[in-house]
Amino acid sequence: MHGRVKLKSTAQQEEEKRKEREKKLKIYVAGRDAIFTKRLEGVLDDEALQLTQQLLSSNPDFATLWNYRREILLHLETVREEDDVQKMYEAELLFLESCLKVNPKSYGSWHHRGWVSARLPRPDWARELGLCDRCLSLDDRNCESEVHCWDYRRMVVKMSGVPVDQELQFTDRLIGSNFSNYSSWHYRSTLLPLLHPESPDPPSPCHQHSHSSPPPSPQTHSHRVCEEQLLKEYELVQNAFFTDPNDQSAWFYYRWLLGRAEREEMISCVFVSREEERVAVAFSRPVNASSSGLMLVLDGQPQRVEWRSVHPHFRHSPVWICALPPGTISDIINEHNLTVHWTEKHTHRDCALYTGRSESWCRDSATDQELFRSELSVEKTSVLQSELQSCNQLLELEPQNKWCLLTIVLLMRALDPLGYERETLSHFQTLKEVDSMRSAYYGDLCSKFMIENTILKMEYAEVRVFSLSDKNLTMLCHLDQLLLVTHINLSCNQLLRLPPQFAMLQCLEVLEADDNAIENLDGLYYLPKLQEVSLKNNQISKLSDLQLLTSCPKLTCLDLRGNPVTQIANIQSELTELLPSVTDLLI
Amino acid sequence: GTQVKDVVIKSDAPSALLLDKHADYIAAYGSKKDDYEYTLSEYLRMSGIYWGLTVMDLMGQLTRMNQQEISDFIKSCQHDCGGISASIGHDPHVLYTLSAVQILSLYDNVNVLDVDKMVEYVRGLQQEDGSFAGDKWGEIDTRFSFCAVATLALLGRLDAINMDKAVEFVLSCMNFDGGFGCRPGSESHAGQIYCCTGFLSIAGQLHQVNADLLGWWLCERQLPSGGLNGRPEKLPDVCYSWWVLASLKIIGRIHWIDKSKLRSFILACQDEETGGFADRPGDMVDPFHTLFGVAGLSLLGEGQIKDVNPVLCMPEDVLERLGLHPDLLS
Repeated sequence: MHGRVKLKSTAQQEEEKRKEREKKLKIYVAGRDAIFTKRLEGVLDDEALQLTQQLLSSNPDFATLWNYRREILLHLETVREEDDVQKMYEAELLFLESCLKVNPKSYGSWHHRGWVSARLPRPDWARELGLCDRCLSLDDRNCESEVHCWDYRRMVVKMSGVPVDQELQFTDRLIGSNFSNYSSWHYRSTLLPLLHPESPDPPSPCHQHSHSSPPPSPQTHSHRVCEEQLLKEYELVQNAFFTDPNDQSAWFYYRWLLGRAEREEMISCVFVSREEERVAVAFSRPVNASSSGLMLVLDGQPQRVEWRSVHPHFRHSPVWICALPPGTISDIINEHNLTVHWTEKHTHRDCALYTGRSESWCRDSATDQELFRSELSVEKTSVLQSELQSCNQLLELEPQNKWCLLTIVLLMRALDPLGYERETLSHFQTLKEVDSMRSAYYGDLCSKFMIENTILKMEYAEVRVFSLSDKNLTMLCHLDQLLLVTHINLSCNQLLRLPPQFAMLQCLEVLEADDNAIENLDGLYYLPKLQEVSLKNNQISKLSDLQLLTSCPKLTCLDLRGNPVTQIANIQSELTELLPSVTDLLI
Repeated sequence: GTQVKDVVIKSDAPSALLLDKHADYIAAYGSKKDDYEYTLSEYLRMSGIYWGLTVMDLMGQLTRMNQQEISDFIKSCQHDCGGISASIGHDPHVLYTLSAVQILSLYDNVNVLDVDKMVEYVRGLQQEDGSFAGDKWGEIDTRFSFCAVATLALLGRLDAINMDKAVEFVLSCMNFDGGFGCRPGSESHAGQIYCCTGFLSIAGQLHQVNADLLGWWLCERQLPSGGLNGRPEKLPDVCYSWWVLASLKIIGRIHWIDKSKLRSFILACQDEETGGFADRPGDMVDPFHTLFGVAGLSLLGEGQIKDVNPVLCMPEDVLERLGLHPDLLS
């Protein structure tokens, strides 16, 4: 089905081909029918082995025939001596080898080989490893077989107990010879966390895993590898991409090395408001409140509350809200102590609401949480700085190399996201030019980094105002970090919508998002404190696009000038009817 | 340095969508019962029928196929254990169980089969570690996890399996690059990624995917020709227009692909003479690549083609009828 070129031929050639195929078909069908007949009759003999062998040689994807062979072999096992069984399965391996030579991509052949190897009275795993080595070395012509071969190798390694460091050395050799690179780097990523784990921190206390989500697989985070080894890997990878700056696999692997550790699972923020009699909770990752064992305790008393995610779209959300029983915290004279328990993870967060204060919160800063940048050891900082230098040198030689450009950006983010902001923006501009097919990707990634920087700046300034205008923002993210924000300015960007996640901005009072291309306001969903919304010069085109604004009880000012919706007949009266409490309406 | 492996699209390659020719190609395909290739592919017949019917439905041409004949055929492929085989005389397997249920869903006729038995068959394939075997012979692959939950989702019977464990296994196959392989430790591959993101969508666990990282890996599948490959340094292939594109749609990053260049590549894979799509321009066509070429175009917003669901690769209107709306990241 793949890689079969359509060749032009004469009418005579066509006729000859047709006759030949007709002949082949007849033989094939005869074989198949004979096999099916025998099987139906429950026959498990050598002739059946012969027949299936013939068909499988030319059609190893005919899975049922492998099944039938296994039934026959299992039966023969019961009536033959061990030595004969050994010979029988060795012959099978020989047959399989010839099948794999013809078609190295057949799932059926590889699976059967694994099955046979496991059934051999005296398996020879060294030979199987040798087969894998040979298959890999033949590989360049038969790309897909690689994947099967590596998987088979992993099975052999597991069955025969080949030590991990030996396999690591195997990848060293392959990488050194510039061969089968992606597979080798990938294999390394799975071996390193096993061989060189990071020093075991006190693990989370033993607890039931009834509804908890499983830990990410060890290879998803390079931080699972101890730092000493990690720093050696940087050198190894650097050699690879300096030797061949267009070898993609090294750059992919490098990005993994630069990745940050997974976030500690915790409650990152609790916010309480007397006026709305409401508690908002932000988690370090999306959770499902009903299966997480969320409990609210007020002044020592557990409260019966219903948790809802900020938007019905999300069963799993990083931010959850609940309403307190009316009157419990509304009197500003009273001080209250709130605790939110995330029982599934055995963690909790306290929040004190003082006398005379209408709201309160408790949170870890993004800096403390190492959200956007990890604390780096002196060694690692030094290594990354020299990496950055080397990459910059490479860039001088290859100014159009997008892998190098992107890696420089990632290195700068790891070292000093705010300090390198200007260079980062400039490199993204270059990336969009040299790799224009992926300019939307670079636009989104740059947006993400600018949002991260703005969050950091906001924290350093200790304000609740988020201002990011005129930065070519193409999307919004990290909205769970903006739970406490009261004012947001996103004007003069390229946003197409305010997504459902925008509803995480539970404290928002003023929204400015003029001069974008916004056509969708899904995220303006039950924002209790939202008073002013400015959406001049966007793409809101239907009255129904504004329906959700009715869920924001405090909304009084709305500026829709420059939107297509304002051209609709009777729009003024329609809007006044839809949003009666908006006294200051500009269209 | 390494050359980028790619194809070059000739200037005379097809650039218009030839839907009528593709419909004619598929309609005629099933009648080639004495064709060598057709006979050799009997081991996947059920999937072949699914590919043909689905692409016909997407083109609004389902009525040209013989519903009765197909229904009868499927019925005769259900075994005592409840599982479905690719064809008569072949052994049951979860791959063909899914294809059968997909076909019958198109016809709203799943009850010609013993559904309870089929559910039991699928349940019985789940292993202790949450993984799924393809059949009683025990091959483990995340493809089969997808087949299992997709089958059960179409039947409204997702409660039959241990979903938490199933999710745990699939997540254990997540790699350093954000992608997924067949088994824990296997390399990322677009086909497996489609199966795993599809699986996580059905399981309501898409938030476990690192969408930015995986989206990057996926958008890097696009080559200068505009076509998509299945993993780094491989040639483009029209079927990856489905596996990669659907995955991107599921994780909300489809805009990271250059759509117009991909569209040009897909159209260039058409055969103006015979109808149908091939894996790359100039190669031989087959129903498999025809479905995925058309489905890929649907995801790109082609007006003449019905909307296709990126998780199940079936027309959206069929899933609407079933009340199935698998999650997608935005």
